[in-house]
Amino acid sequence: MNADSGHRKGEIAELKSQLRQLAGSRAPGVEEVKRELYKKVISYMTIGIDVSSLFSEMVMCSATSDLVVKKMCYLYVGNYAKVHPDLALLTINFLQRDCQDDDPMIRGLALRSLCSLRVMNFVEYLVGSLRKGLKDNNGYVRQVAAMGVLKLYHIAPTACIENDFVATLKSMLSQDPDAQVREWSRTVCVRWKRFWFWREPTVTVQTKIGRCYIASKSIKDFSEWAQCLVLDMVSKYIPVDPNETFDIMNLLEDRLQHSNSAVVLATIKVFLQLTISMADVHQQVYERIKAPLLTLISSGSPELSYAVLSHLHLLVMRAPILFSSDYKHFYCRYSDPSYVKKLKIEMLTAVASESNMYEIVTELSEYAANVDVGITREAIRAVGKIALNLCDVNAIVDRLLQFLEMERDYVTAETLVLVKDLVRKYPEWSHDCIAVVGNVSSKSIQEPKAKAALIWMLGEYSHDMLDAPYVLESFVDNWLEEDSPEVRLELLTAAAKIFFKRPPESQKLLGAALAAAVDDPDQDVHDKGLFYYRLLQQGVQTAESIVNPPKKAVSDFADIQNSEMRDRIFDEFNSLSVIYREPSYMFLDKEHRKLYEFSDEAAPTDVLPTQKLDANDNDLLLGAFDKEESQSGVSNGDDGPLSAPRSPSPTLLGDSVPPVSASNIPAAFGIDDLLGLNISTPPPPPPSLVLSSKPVLDSGTFQKKWSQLPVALSFEHPISAQSLKTTQPLLRHMQEKSVQCMASGGQSPTFKFFFFAQKADGMPGTGFFLVECLVHTSAGKASVKVKSEDSTFTAAFSDLFKSALSSFII
Amino acid sequence: MIQCLFLLSDAGDVILEKQWMGKRVERSICSWFWRQRSEKEDQDPPSVIASPTHYLLHIVREGVTFLACTASEMPPLLGIEFLCKVASVLENYLGGLNEDILKDNFVIVYEILDEMMDSGFPSTTEPSVLKEIIAPPNLVSRVLSVVTGTSSSLNAASPLATSSQVSWRASNVKHSNNEIYFDLVEEMDAVFNRDGFVVKCEAYGEIQATSRLSGMPELSLTFANTDILHDVNFHPCVRYRAWEADQMLSFIPPDGAFKLMSYRVKGLKNPPLFVRPQLSSGEGICRVNVLVGLRGDPGKPVDAIIVQLPWPPSVVSTNLSASVGTVTYSFSTKVSTWIIGRIPKDKSPCLSGTLQLEPGINRLEEFPTFLVGFKIQGTAVSGLKVDKMDIRNVEYRPYKGFRAVTRAASYEIRT
Repeated sequence: MNADSGHRKGEIAELKSQLRQLAGSRAPGVEEVKRELYKKVISYMTIGIDVSSLFSEMVMCSATSDLVVKKMCYLYVGNYAKVHPDLALLTINFLQRDCQDDDPMIRGLALRSLCSLRVMNFVEYLVGSLRKGLKDNNGYVRQVAAMGVLKLYHIAPTACIENDFVATLKSMLSQDPDAQVREWSRTVCVRWKRFWFWREPTVTVQTKIGRCYIASKSIKDFSEWAQCLVLDMVSKYIPVDPNETFDIMNLLEDRLQHSNSAVVLATIKVFLQLTISMADVHQQVYERIKAPLLTLISSGSPELSYAVLSHLHLLVMRAPILFSSDYKHFYCRYSDPSYVKKLKIEMLTAVASESNMYEIVTELSEYAANVDVGITREAIRAVGKIALNLCDVNAIVDRLLQFLEMERDYVTAETLVLVKDLVRKYPEWSHDCIAVVGNVSSKSIQEPKAKAALIWMLGEYSHDMLDAPYVLESFVDNWLEEDSPEVRLELLTAAAKIFFKRPPESQKLLGAALAAAVDDPDQDVHDKGLFYYRLLQQGVQTAESIVNPPKKAVSDFADIQNSEMRDRIFDEFNSLSVIYREPSYMFLDKEHRKLYEFSDEAAPTDVLPTQKLDANDNDLLLGAFDKEESQSGVSNGDDGPLSAPRSPSPTLLGDSVPPVSASNIPAAFGIDDLLGLNISTPPPPPPSLVLSSKPVLDSGTFQKKWSQLPVALSFEHPISAQSLKTTQPLLRHMQEKSVQCMASGGQSPTFKFFFFAQKADGMPGTGFFLVECLVHTSAGKASVKVKSEDSTFTAAFSDLFKSALSSFII
Repeated sequence: MIQCLFLLSDAGDVILEKQWMGKRVERSICSWFWRQRSEKEDQDPPSVIASPTHYLLHIVREGVTFLACTASEMPPLLGIEFLCKVASVLENYLGGLNEDILKDNFVIVYEILDEMMDSGFPSTTEPSVLKEIIAPPNLVSRVLSVVTGTSSSLNAASPLATSSQVSWRASNVKHSNNEIYFDLVEEMDAVFNRDGFVVKCEAYGEIQATSRLSGMPELSLTFANTDILHDVNFHPCVRYRAWEADQMLSFIPPDGAFKLMSYRVKGLKNPPLFVRPQLSSGEGICRVNVLVGLRGDPGKPVDAIIVQLPWPPSVVSTNLSASVGTVTYSFSTKVSTWIIGRIPKDKSPCLSGTLQLEPGINRLEEFPTFLVGFKIQGTAVSGLKVDKMDIRNVEYRPYKGFRAVTRAASYEIRT
């Protein structure tokens, strides 16, 4: 390994000297040699070797007429300029020179490289080249320049406005002789607009824009990708009246026929969102979008089909009837990857109804014989789920019982779990089921869940199964070999139940089970054993009334996801949330929610008052469309009943708040907070923090957040806990300080705690602080790691946490 | 917005990376991604997954993984559709996709990626426009560059030298021979159950066009029977209103090859081939007997018939022979492949023989699914027929060509 890297170093040094020699050379054939050398450098770069040490040599050799060498040079510079900001100045010179080249291709590429350097100090050089580029006689160069304006804006907005680039761009939108350049400038503008949304998600701006775009009827003039952005904006628009909704949908209907699936899905989102409050139209929309969606899942690539199926799953949860006649589209293909198959099986479960149930269950039974074990299990579970959801289970029970006859261990295991649930819901079927279950050999079952299910049925239906006590006996005999406490718990209960029904046969069994349970190393099993033992001392009847009271059939099993959550995800249709099946606030932290679309540079030093930019911005967009239509659009938007009342803050923001820097979006959130409580609390330099007294966080989310967030702060703090023997006292103490415990453990002298707390005034599900705290009682100190969703409050929180630790006395 | 793209080989190595944003994404994300894959026994993770730091979107084409990273919320289809476009453009440019081809042509790959996306958002993705900017590395230019050492991979004519009325076509296109070809390609999905009944049968069609026409031709294409089309998607050049009003495709074509439209066919009930498998197993041996034949008359001969028989893991070896065609067995994949070709008039193809099962296993526990491939030249299974094609706004009379072909896509026989 070492020899290898040494070898490479040698090679790079060699390249360096070769490039040096070439730098000034005008010898014939030198271009050819250069090309080979450049190729070598780029190929090193490609396989991930750092060749940034060649930077100055590469730039020195860049004076060439060979296009390929030029392109490789731009590529190299683009890759390494950031690493060498000092040397980047070298490149400016030759890039600027190339911007004057005779070849439009070179002009374009050089300008693009120049704009992509994204270094603040270079703005002055950039402006001149950009101005020339926007007026270039070649379309390609103008196109690159238009994009360059946007890039410039993100590092230096003032320069952009002062040089009137916005106006130039505006005229290009409609007047450029080249259709491609016009389309391109529109893309630039619409991306720009989107950037504004992220900065200031205000309703007024959005409604206006929505109208502008629609009224202009110009969606076809955008590139297919920019159309997705436009449609996304339209989906946020709230129409004034139903007529307008229909107008918009008529205008956009042909977008459902677009060959780009992203456009189709964005259009579907518009349709769904626009009609959300018009129930009957909403239903018609479902009918309309069905065909395009089904085409996408059947004819597209599996990767595409997965993304679309995730969306369909969301829709089907809201309108299960909708797809019930199209169930065949969700049949799995042999060649589908298993992640698509799984989703299709879920779809089949979701669309199953009285009318198609038989076919679907038949199809699922086919998958149960699949070679892929994962799919087999999913298929069996799906059959079970359908059985539990529908009333007519006649045919399904047969199917399930057939699975047991397949004599494959994992099939049997899955099926047993289902049969258990089935008899709990439909006791009338218990007789048939138990007859078959009785034939299952208990030795072939290894999985704890399946074992527990079988044992439960043995206990519950011991009167139907003659050999139940003896089967259970063999289980009890192997008590010590049974690894899973779940199974041992179930076994204990079953032994007790069977004793109530068939005491003479099973007295010994119960005795053995109780003895084993009381000695069990697992706390739960031990407790339950003692509990039963003491219950039985109170008399057999009392015990029976508690252990085995008469049961009612279960009518509904708990739903996994509540409908409120689903609605939230629905609002985020056509986003990654749909695929994760969680609204974005649950998996995107603020760090990621902000849009660092363009640069990670420090925030620009010059910022404009918001209003001025806003005016400019709207103006810019209006330029894109027919004057008349867009004007009427805007005025309607202003008069619209929905645009005014919901947005008092934008004006406030515009007037009173210091300008927000372009790349620093979270500042806007801070301002919202300020607006809420600006009278009582003065703007705090170290922000004051109030913790919610009852934060809600489940352990799964905690784990996810914990793994995603970086450690914001770690410190050691003294704690007087010499006599701490259990975790309880500290837990209670922290609870009083609004810091909750997620998990804790350990033994003296070292305890480990996971705490969490939530900001009081934050949105539900946000503003969490997560803490890992190691307490060394003997050393009298605690090592603390804090992770925070809102970095502005990290310091405040850790102060709070420290003071809580300090006040802990035992 | 997409921050970067990694191309990974089938061993998980980075073939090349392209960063589109100021903020770089480290290569280590690729090893994280690859671990997800190996954890699932080399099955691909879903096309969209979340890593601790980024959202990863990926597609796999010809063994090459296209992996895109984003740190912000975005429409998932925008990402996946873009990756699909990149893959198809690269394949088209390089005449194939694999690690070696990509490594040999990395400069042109970088050029293409640079044009297809700018600061994280798709820009020029239309192949015909791309070809104006970057010339494909064809044989001629490769030979030239070897001989003279000077020619570049760029077009002699500079891009967008003249302004155009439509964004997908330059106004100065010139060809010495004016010609346009339309290929009707239909693919059929069918599933048969073990009793030979059709469980499901669908067909998807595409019209692929290749246009080499000078000037700004106005084309219109009509069909004899559009009522069989279910859901239709068009290339952006197609005017939707004309379709809505007259069921006519009216468009100015891009130069070169493009997908004019795609569609789904309604209520198809006549899959052209039947396959009747019989499997019976016991005492560690499985007897196999498979018959193949035509169902009805598709009008044109059915060619390139091939049956793949993937056996479950419990099969140790096979001893199969066929009355027509050849059977081969691959030990590594446990797949028997029966190549039939065309069905002879006098003989019906039959495959028979035995499978040896693993010791200790008495009978076959899984039911294998057989996959059938075939091709019917000269006819579209849906029966879609082109009525006529007109060309206006040009002086010349071009050569027009129409072809149709039907292929099996996912034609499955359950046993």
